[in-house]
Amino acid sequence: MPNFTEETISVAGGNLQVYKGGSGDPLLVLHGAGGNAGPRRYAQALAEKFTVYLPSHPGYGKSDRPGWVETMQDLACFYTWYQEQEGLENVRAIGFSMGGWLAAEMLSMTGHAFSKVMLVGAAGVKPNDGEITDIFIISPAQVRDLVYHDPSQVPEWDELFGTDPTPEQAQQAEADREMAIRLTWRPYMHNPRLPAKLGRVNVPTHILWGENDNLVPVECAGLYQQAIAGSQVTVISNCGHSPQIEKPDDFVQAALAFL
Amino acid sequence: MFLMRFTERAYVNYTEEDVRNSPNEAVRLTFSNSNFNPEEGHYLYNMYLDEYEYSEEVGFDGLMLNEHHNTPTCLGATMNLEAAILARNTKKPKIVLLGNPLPIFDNPIRLAEELAEIDMISGGRLVSGFVRGTGVESLATNTNPLHNRARFEEAHDLVIKTWTTPGPFRWEGDHYHFRVVNPFQTPLQKPHPPVWIPGTGSPETLVWCAERNYPYIFLETDPQGTQDMKSIYTEAAREHGYEPGPENFGYLVRIHVQDTDEKAYDVGKGYMVGNIGVGRIPLPRDYASPVGYGSRSDDPRFLRLREQIRSDPFRVGGLDSAHYDEILDSKRWIIGSPDTVISQLREVLSYMRPGILAVWTNDGSISHEDTMRCLELMGQEVLPALREIGEELELTDPFQKEGVMPGLTTV
Repeated sequence: MPNFTEETISVAGGNLQVYKGGSGDPLLVLHGAGGNAGPRRYAQALAEKFTVYLPSHPGYGKSDRPGWVETMQDLACFYTWYQEQEGLENVRAIGFSMGGWLAAEMLSMTGHAFSKVMLVGAAGVKPNDGEITDIFIISPAQVRDLVYHDPSQVPEWDELFGTDPTPEQAQQAEADREMAIRLTWRPYMHNPRLPAKLGRVNVPTHILWGENDNLVPVECAGLYQQAIAGSQVTVISNCGHSPQIEKPDDFVQAALAFL
Repeated sequence: MFLMRFTERAYVNYTEEDVRNSPNEAVRLTFSNSNFNPEEGHYLYNMYLDEYEYSEEVGFDGLMLNEHHNTPTCLGATMNLEAAILARNTKKPKIVLLGNPLPIFDNPIRLAEELAEIDMISGGRLVSGFVRGTGVESLATNTNPLHNRARFEEAHDLVIKTWTTPGPFRWEGDHYHFRVVNPFQTPLQKPHPPVWIPGTGSPETLVWCAERNYPYIFLETDPQGTQDMKSIYTEAAREHGYEPGPENFGYLVRIHVQDTDEKAYDVGKGYMVGNIGVGRIPLPRDYASPVGYGSRSDDPRFLRLREQIRSDPFRVGGLDSAHYDEILDSKRWIIGSPDTVISQLREVLSYMRPGILAVWTNDGSISHEDTMRCLELMGQEVLPALREIGEELELTDPFQKEGVMPGLTTV
């Protein structure tokens, strides 16, 4: 199993926590609103083929928040800065949920952020029929219940949720939630102008969704596909908002086939 | 001592089951307004206004209103409208708004205009309180809770400047941006209507008030915690070169009086209905205090105070889940015949020493008839006795204070 290390680098005047592991071409993985769960099973599998970079977004985990990072567009600016500094431009990338939105914002700003990109259960685009679930007026436990379609098929369930969080973990979860509130409050979890700006994207884009996503409606997969010319969609059946955790084998297979 | 009358103007025509069936079993924010009957609303708004007008007749110095959103517990969703009606229909009492939730206003200039109109219509009787609002106010108006305090402070500065600085001027702040601030109508009171701030003990707000010599009105806070909060205020006031007195502090208490102790005890149970909720249903934490709303200060005094507030079994909200008899035994609510109420209040006032007493005469399911009798007895027996006690204990209020009146910013 590839060995992951945790390092801290200075970016844009603040410390950025990055898990890094594996070998091969770089693969940038952008976590969702809930925070950086570290190199889970899916990341270990991807690290067999790629050098996986899994940073904690500014304000999340052990990463500082430069005071100017207030919006998703600020966050996208931060990451293009990071890419330039670390020589990680034109790399493969995967963005989960809010991290998918982040990747899409970066795509809308520059043509040389990514060589190939996967958007997984991505927020960022307003659904026509459904709604993106408001995770800020329900408790974290209620959010978790909505994320997973069938907890019994989550192989890492015990590791992730088997024990009550320590006070430090609870505090971290609260700080992470605060950062999500900062970034995505209004308009909630989407940018009305994003679809139009995605018209410029000309890198291979793969859109992947859990069929039973209870947070970001699966119709958003189609909306992303309409916005990004030539993009492909895969829907994983019997699966919730986080295929990489709920069905890691199916997810990794789809990811490797595309990347 | 300044005596003002208060009620939250509750709507209680729903059942515990209605609440249990609502999202998150919450009585605020997401409790469906399909449970509201505007015919009943028509009756209640007018009834509550009648009661306020009668409160002037019985001798209260002030009529206190508050504001909440998406909740049956307080019909004052746009308190300034009620205030405007009272400004016209009453002659003497101050109209005390505790307070307008500043962070939820995207246009504080409009608020400054409304308040200026109320002040003029009333002949300069407005006391303009401001609050941060509960988490529900942030959520109901989609105001980011993370920016609550910053917006509170900036909106305050903008309103005060709008009232005190000849326009036009421009405002380019962090949260508010206006190219031409120049509302033609300005308040009658100069330099501006006094500002009082109600709260339950956020230490940053106490310090902020002390820095401005704004009276702080403690909302049903526990006696020991209140002493700690007053010390925080006093320390900050001294750093700003003045010694605060009773005129810098107010205290809100539920006080209900009837002809006999027995009758008052029975009627007072009505407070238990519909405040946090029928059936005493608590509010989800993510509604009351969303992540980011609270303070992250690690000042040891503040942490100590927070612990103290947390340990109070009757702290705000807790009062709504405790047992009636326990609350009465602790004298957190004062309910009884005029003699009982006067003697218990003497004790409470001696300890708390507020220059401003907010008398929460009725709420929940207490009937109009019982409320009117309560107000009548207040006027005949309780208020005169309280004035004597106030004199005796030297509980000076802001309007009696010689020199600069607390509530006027030096901005």
